[in-house]
Amino acid sequence: MERILKKFFELTANPYGSLAEWKEKNKKKVIGCYPMQLPEEIIHAAGMLPVIIWRSNEPVTMGHAHIAPFNCGLTRSFVDDAVKGKLSFLDGVVFYRMCLQAQSLPFIIERNACPSYMEYLYLPALYPGASIRDYLIEEFERLKKSLEEFGGQEITVQSLNRSISVYNRNRRLLAEVYALRREKPGLIKGREMQAIVNSSMLMPKEEHNRLLEELIPELKKRSPADQKVRVVIYGGLCQTVQPEVLDLIESLGMVIVDDDMYVGSRYFANEVEASEKPVESLANRYLKKLPPCPTKGDWETDWTDYVIEIVKRNKAQGVITMLVKFCPPHLCYYPDLKRKFAEHGIPEVLIELEHEVISLEQTRTRLQSFIEIIGGV
Amino acid sequence: MSLMVAGVDIGSLCTKTVILSAERKILSFNILRSGAVYRGAAESSLNEALKTLGFNIKDLKYVVSTGYGRARVPFADAEVTEITCHARGANYFFPEVRTVIDIGGQDSKVIRVNETGQAVRFVMNDKCAAGTGRFLEVMAGALGVDLEEMSEIALYAHEDIEVSSTCTVFAESEIISLLAGGYEKREIAAAIYKAIARRITGLTGQIGLVEKVAMTGGVAKSGGVVRALEKKLGVALLIPPEPQIVGACGAALIAREKALP
Ligand code: SF4
Repeated sequence: MERILKKFFELTANPYGSLAEWKEKNKKKVIGCYPMQLPEEIIHAAGMLPVIIWRSNEPVTMGHAHIAPFNCGLTRSFVDDAVKGKLSFLDGVVFYRMCLQAQSLPFIIERNACPSYMEYLYLPALYPGASIRDYLIEEFERLKKSLEEFGGQEITVQSLNRSISVYNRNRRLLAEVYALRREKPGLIKGREMQAIVNSSMLMPKEEHNRLLEELIPELKKRSPADQKVRVVIYGGLCQTVQPEVLDLIESLGMVIVDDDMYVGSRYFANEVEASEKPVESLANRYLKKLPPCPTKGDWETDWTDYVIEIVKRNKAQGVITMLVKFCPPHLCYYPDLKRKFAEHGIPEVLIELEHEVISLEQTRTRLQSFIEIIGGV
Repeated sequence: MSLMVAGVDIGSLCTKTVILSAERKILSFNILRSGAVYRGAAESSLNEALKTLGFNIKDLKYVVSTGYGRARVPFADAEVTEITCHARGANYFFPEVRTVIDIGGQDSKVIRVNETGQAVRFVMNDKCAAGTGRFLEVMAGALGVDLEEMSEIALYAHEDIEVSSTCTVFAESEIISLLAGGYEKREIAAAIYKAIARRITGLTGQIGLVEKVAMTGGVAKSGGVVRALEKKLGVALLIPPEPQIVGACGAALIAREKALP
């Protein structure tokens, strides 16, 4: 078990080296994907390795010549990596209309990382009506076609369905790990859980599935840490949280029972149905309203209700907002979330995630005050 | 000797100590500039407070530390955050208070308190020093006056001018250019207080203003800030006789609960 977890930690701490090595060994193409909504299965079916782009653990330096310091950590770090030449192993990048900050990136990446393949999808906001679905299917078909041309390999219904089933298996296994934690909070540390999900974004799913199949029975043998104040964390759009913040939560006497984080339960939510029209099935997954995503512009679904449901289901005593600094989609919804948590009597605390500096002392004061409010002194 | 407990609040600029009796009476207190060594400051401040009573650390039944240096006080029996302590301390002085505005040396907080003195919710500005005690010191320095004088001259401001409230460094250079532009110190001083009031009002808005409202922390000693804030918020602020020791007092109250449940 420790061996597998170590592998996950190593990969997530330094994906560059591992991916370049993997590529060299397997002679396959590596395609970077914008986080959250892309149908990775299509890239997988084209015989390539889709990886979700990540935030490096270096401060942004040269990249600031190209991107404003008030962009979120992920976008700044991605640009910085491109400018520093750290992304040369990427054969391609697939972008989509995710948020305003992410929209200017393709030009910068094209100039500085010079990938051989680039595609930009216009994934729609969730307005009601059938035309959205038709349009989305067309976009996915367009991606499929361009990947076929780039890879020189046809994506058949069978191959796409095979990829879908590999991805679904991964979703199911990750959900199983989450169920274990829910059953026995403290069994899996916050930083371990994050590395488990994050590594899935950075390695072939077949291999990740194999590792999870080995890991799960081992995890079951562990005994959980003492029962403590139960909390749910949510937010963290597009990127990981500094593991030190997760450690801090636990060291102050809280246990994370569940989450609504992108590098968390959002990544594996909703399987894709197997069907004769796999592209349509992929579109159907995108059109699901839950988990609510602030980048999908769906004003009918209430994000707070969704988080409150997770809180109640897990009998959690409080919620920790993991807000990526300068992330407009999350910021736009935050006042509403905050107000509704208060209306429901759910204690909530805000932790702002910055890329370069984590002021751990201030974060400690916030979190410690929070636990004093919930659990007393 | 009857039971005695202490609360020590190690803030970014000053360290404060309160010695409390079993009957919750403040027996003595001390305020000291923190300096670079938190441990030394905590010990010195505590010793000073005890000296006036003729006792020493051994005579204390329980010590609670709070403030940014709280984790580094080896003789403390427990550490509690300043949020919880300011709430408890404000409730001690004014049981009817539901909102506490605490402006310290380098950060500011607004805390919602319940009738038992427990913090229920809070917002903090812990990212920058704008609008804090340090901000005031820098601005007074730029004007070439001391803090009391600054508060005094602002009373005589005739003209309404604005300085930005977002950054200590920018505000300082703004002040220098206002001085160069021929503005009087009194107008600038008033503008500085307004800037702080604007900032704190923004913070207060995030959790809502429920009366009665107390102000704690060293900045509550600045008449200029208090006047500007009362005007902007439209409420009267309750201010304890020594606002700087409210956190330490809260810590001492918690120490007393722990020692005598
Ligand atoms: S959605 Fe938020 S976190 Fe994601 S790229 Fe946009 S600003 Fe950054």
